[in-house]
Amino acid sequence: MAKPFHELRERLLRAGVAPRHVRRYLGELQEHVADLKAEEERHGLSAADAEQAALARLGNMDDLAVAMIGKRQFQSWSARAPWVAFCIAPLLCLAAAWGLALFILASGWAIFLPQAETPFNVPVHGFAMLYFGLGKLIYFDAPLAIGWGIGIIATRGRSKPIWPLAGLVPLAWFGGMAQVHASRIITSGAIDHISVTFSRRIQDPGMSGSLIQASAILLATALPYLVWRMQKAFSKAA
Amino acid sequence: MYHRFSMAARETNPNFMNGVPELLILKLLQQQEMYGYEIVQAILSRTNSVIAAGEGVVYPVLHGLERDGALRSRRKTVGGRSRIYYSVTPAGRRRLADLKKTWSSLASAIQSVLAGGQHGEAIP
Repeated sequence: MAKPFHELRERLLRAGVAPRHVRRYLGELQEHVADLKAEEERHGLSAADAEQAALARLGNMDDLAVAMIGKRQFQSWSARAPWVAFCIAPLLCLAAAWGLALFILASGWAIFLPQAETPFNVPVHGFAMLYFGLGKLIYFDAPLAIGWGIGIIATRGRSKPIWPLAGLVPLAWFGGMAQVHASRIITSGAIDHISVTFSRRIQDPGMSGSLIQASAILLATALPYLVWRMQKAFSKAA
Repeated sequence: MYHRFSMAARETNPNFMNGVPELLILKLLQQQEMYGYEIVQAILSRTNSVIAAGEGVVYPVLHGLERDGALRSRRKTVGGRSRIYYSVTPAGRRRLADLKKTWSSLASAIQSVLAGGQHGEAIP
């Protein structure tokens, strides 16, 4: 990508224009420059002069940036409402992923272990192992995947670091503190009972393990993002 | 009275040039589908380059119209070059009719002032 377009891209992204709109805008601008350059060459200019003339006709970078930045409809959600994009939406995604994981647990329990008192610590084989494994994978990996998603969105949108980090902390907290309980009790006609609780007090059993897990999630999700930020800062300084 | 007048003006004509790029683009695309470069060249040739700006600023207008449902786009390869072609939707035709009406009444109002109509000479 030519230098002026690279600068325009960075400027648009930092101003909160959604990456997909930036990509399309720059793509069309480059196609336009190619057409203008071909036209100037047909009029007898050398390739270098034609490119200069084409860029001049395209407009100065300030005008091209302001034309896009001025339209609110092109702003990304992470720029319009960062607290929604980085704090609320990830927690809703986590709740949805855990809902799916708990559904797999409950249905697997009913299908493969109808006689067992609990679906935990019971040996399973074949398809049942795969089925429960999928549920576990979703449950344990959801905070990591969503956290990396936050980092990718923040990186692509050139967001200020405060928002992704503010989103990663509650995500890691919920991811580390949640505990799933499953027991066979009769409550209002239902036999199986599955619930999720959160460690809240330091005296709670398993609190230290939960804290370690929350810290590990925070580290694993924040670190790649912070490394990218530092790399970007160093390359800018160089 | 002044307040009422200024409010009405703000609602209808916030800026005299507002809507002009949209009007020209919708009018051109009503006749045939075009890509950005073609649209700009058509505007330049049909207005004798009176309306000339940085050519790249046409794209935010095109994208905005597409987002509003007034235009649709498709990628088409012609002569080995892949380009995004724009065409007008039914909603775009309705918008064009509204813009034409607004522009015609604005132009005739300005024309009557320039022609030295009765209202312009009232203050001694």
